[in-house]
This record gives sequence, C-alpha cells and structure tokens, in this order.
Amino acid sequence: MKRESWVLIGAMLLGVPLLAQGKPLLVTGVRGVTFGAVLPGVPRVVLRTDPANSGQFDIKGPKGGPVLLSFVLPLTMTGPAGALMPIVFGASDAGFSATQAIGSQVGFDPRQPTTVVFPNNGNVSVFVGATANPGTNQRAGAYTGTITLTVTYL
Amino acid sequence: MRSITKLSLVVAALVLTGTALQAQTNNASITATASVQTPINVVGAQQLSFGNVFPGVNKTIAATDLTNGGRFDVTGQASTPVTISFTLPATLGSAGNTMPIVSYTGVHAQNNAQTGGTAFSPVAGATPTLNASGALWVWVGAQVQPATNQAAGVYTGSITMTVVY
Repeated sequence: MKRESWVLIGAMLLGVPLLAQGKPLLVTGVRGVTFGAVLPGVPRVVLRTDPANSGQFDIKGPKGGPVLLSFVLPLTMTGPAGALMPIVFGASDAGFSATQAIGSQVGFDPRQPTTVVFPNNGNVSVFVGATANPGTNQRAGAYTGTITLTVTYL
Repeated sequence: MRSITKLSLVVAALVLTGTALQAQTNNASITATASVQTPINVVGAQQLSFGNVFPGVNKTIAATDLTNGGRFDVTGQASTPVTISFTLPATLGSAGNTMPIVSYTGVHAQNNAQTGGTAFSPVAGATPTLNASGALWVWVGAQVQPATNQAAGVYTGSITMTVVY
C-alpha cells in the first residue's frame, strides 16, 4: 500500500510536464528549397526570405515553451548517375517566425542547434535558404537533397 | 477495491507520462531541388592561318574570312547568354624569334556561316547568346607584322577563348 502511494506520486510528478506542454508536437515540411534552373559554374542562392523558393517547416507545439531546433543538412545534392553538387548553408540561412510570417523572421545558424521560445498559440514556422554551387562541368540534370528538422521539447 | 483503484490511477499516470515522453521530439523533412543546365563546351575548330608571310609586309586575316580565320565552336544551354573572353598573344614565335601579332578582330554568330553575325573586339570580349539548339560560333582575325629582316620559319602562338555563363 505504501509502495503504491510512492509509485503514484512519482507517476504524477512525471505527469506534470505533460500538462504544461499542452498539445502534442507536430512538425510538417511545407515547402522544399527550390533552386530551379542552375547553370554550371554559377552559384545559385535561395534566401530564407524568398517566399517562392525558400524551404518551410510549420510546427505546432508547446504554448510559450522553449524548444530545441536542430537540422540534418546535406553537403551535396545528388543528380543523374550519382553526380553530386555541393549545397552550402550559411550562418543566417535559417529563420524562426513566431507569427508564421516569412517577412517576420529571426535568423539563426541551421548548422547549430538553436533554442527558441514558442508563442502562446504554439504555432511557428522555420524557413530555410541555401546556396547551390555547381561546378563548371556539372553534369546536367535534376538534383535533390534532404533537409530534416528535428524539434525537441526542453 | 481501493487497491485496484489506486493501481488503476498509477497505470493511467504512467500511460499518460509515457505518451508525453514519446511526443517530446518530432521531425520532418523537405527536399532541396535544382535542375542543372547543359555545361559549356568549347572546341578550337579552325586555326587562324596567315599562310605565307613576307618580311616587311603586314598581313591581315579578317574574322570574316571563313577559310583562314580562327574559329571556336561553343555548345551549351539553349538560348542562354554567355560571356566570352580571350587570352591573346602579342607575338608569334619560331625558334627564339618573334613576330608581332596585333589588331585582333572577332565575329560571333548563331550559325556557322556568319549569317547575321556580330563583330566584336576580342580584347574587350563579348556577351553573345547561344542559339535555340545551344550552339554558337566565334571567329577571330588578326594582323601579323613581320620585320624586314624577319627570320624565316614557321611562327605559332596560342589564342585561348574562355566561355562562362
């Protein structure tokens, strides 16, 4: 009986964070980073503020809670017959928007885990830009790479 | 009965807690995409040929000379502008002897007959556009100025054209 009480108290204490977190965490990839037509030898930059070509994630999460954003970023995009094309992410190529507006972002380095605080409605967006660096003899064709955003409650 | 109720609460709390722990991390992926266009290829298709040259007599080959003018053939992405530039020798050489080469001229066209071609200065370069098939032709002419005591021999020099998007 006494042991059961301790177990119950422990379980409830563990349950406190759950109540504070509110709704479940949901990350959605809304839009990819689109470089479009790229000429060999000519770098192509997509800004995180580009409404048509920047990447976008929408996140539904804790109201007012701090979360950790971390990316898995590709070093290259893969094209025809395994051809590779470098893709580079700069120190301000990611942006956090507490209003989910692309025009209202706070830039951060996608290469480093970053802590942000969610607004009271728990809805935010993360935008991503990058630079494609084709070689002068880059093989023609379609190239793709995967960008993954992981969001963790703190 | 009381024990069963408390145990149920414990189980419920643990289930809820377990749910929260599982939901603490989430991720999603997007794709970066690019469509790389055709790379540029340049071929030195025809030499700039002055033929026989006599000491003290300048000789000019016009860029419009389809037979003797130097010609580069370019291929790349259709209907795309490019920038062309040259490395031009100031002299031709032969066994330690040199002969000045000056007054370079150029023509670029979207066909190999120079129809509708555009004259330009190779010293300054040009920004032509590849044709609808991704092709461009560039011709180069110049003048050699042999001295009156120019040593006999075969004189050569290299003209390099660089093309970038």
